[in-house]
Amino acid sequence: MNIQEYISTGILEAYVLGELTEAERAQVEKNISMSPELKAELSKVEETLEAFAMKSAIKPRAEVKAAIMDKIPGASKIVSRQENAETKVVELSTQFNYWKYAAAASIAFALLTSYLAFNYHQRWVDTQANLNNLITQNQQMAQNYNTVNHKLDKIQNDLSIIESIAFTKVVLKGTSNEPEALAAIYWNTATEEVFLSVQELKGISKENQFQLWAIIDGQPVDAGVFDGNFAGLLKMKNIKGAVAFAVTVEPRGGKESPTLETMRLMGPVAKS
Amino acid sequence: MIKGLKARNPASLDYLYDHYSAAMYGIITRVVKNKDVAEEVLQDVFLKIWDKIDAYDSSKGKLFTWMLNIARNQAIDKTRSKEISKGRKTDDIDNLVGKIDKADYSEQNVEAIGLSEVLAKLNNDQRFVIEKLYLEGYTQSEVAEEFNIPLGTVKTRTRMAMIELRTILKVN
Repeated sequence: MNIQEYISTGILEAYVLGELTEAERAQVEKNISMSPELKAELSKVEETLEAFAMKSAIKPRAEVKAAIMDKIPGASKIVSRQENAETKVVELSTQFNYWKYAAAASIAFALLTSYLAFNYHQRWVDTQANLNNLITQNQQMAQNYNTVNHKLDKIQNDLSIIESIAFTKVVLKGTSNEPEALAAIYWNTATEEVFLSVQELKGISKENQFQLWAIIDGQPVDAGVFDGNFAGLLKMKNIKGAVAFAVTVEPRGGKESPTLETMRLMGPVAKS
Repeated sequence: MIKGLKARNPASLDYLYDHYSAAMYGIITRVVKNKDVAEEVLQDVFLKIWDKIDAYDSSKGKLFTWMLNIARNQAIDKTRSKEISKGRKTDDIDNLVGKIDKADYSEQNVEAIGLSEVLAKLNNDQRFVIEKLYLEGYTQSEVAEEFNIPLGTVKTRTRMAMIELRTILKVN
């Protein structure tokens, strides 16, 4: 068998792949040592295998190298020193790793900020709701305050009328229709203002209203209508020269002349 | 560098790892088909290279050939020990070559064509032996036995495929 025939059997490939028995190996090794042509062919087979292996290369994770170097005595320092001087492929990979970490960091950052944004949005919504509640409460408070203030003003005003010496108090007592009824008129004879204060008066149906009368020169004069349910003093029509006041029940809106049968309250003006 | 290794200089192993780990890991990964196992095998291989470097004889072949054989044998041993059936290997391989090739492509940024393009340029018989021997971890005698091909034929097909690869991969 000449060298070319020997080569064409594929023996060198089998040798390179470690497929031969010990005896076959020894024979190939002996032949190689004797034939430069065979040696050259072996190199080509090996180079082809190497090129193929490089073509199918997959870069292992960096942790694998660290794990190996950890097990080699005195190698751990080298790893860190040598890493700066790595080959182009490794540089690419380091760069790739850098981008991987950068991407991972970006994603983590995006997730974090999304979470925070959502969180703050939730808080903002909550805060907004709380604020609206407070505004509503505040408006309610202000309204209440105004109401109270208004009432207080009225009470102070009423009180000033009651206490004023300019006003004459006329006590109206219940008639036989309602003996326990009680009211009072505060009348300023100078300004002719009339205020009514009811202490006790039974309610009436909605179709009817109370009507106040002033007795002037023996004639009843309309002094205004009112419903029973009011607090404090109620300003009535101005009256001049009355000698007595009376309250009758009349149809809503009042009448021109009183219905005497429905009289509830009556009281004379004290002579000064 | 071989002197450095034999003198137990860690820097030499470091250099060796940086230049050849990817090529070896590629072969190992394809044979064992599991990333964690492949990493474990790669570790064992480099520790073995470190321990057994005195057994390497440069007159008998290149250092890379020696290392690749350690890697291939270690990977095959691991597969055997895990009792992974040949049937499963055959089912998975088409998928695996394409998948790994893509991963390989993006990480290595090879300037030339990818592995599957290389394999596509071989004829069916040649591609078959290369896939079995390099990517699936069969030995030549296993291929002969399992697929009823005379061992001599397996060897010559390997030879023809390697010559073809020589052209495709532009080895001189």
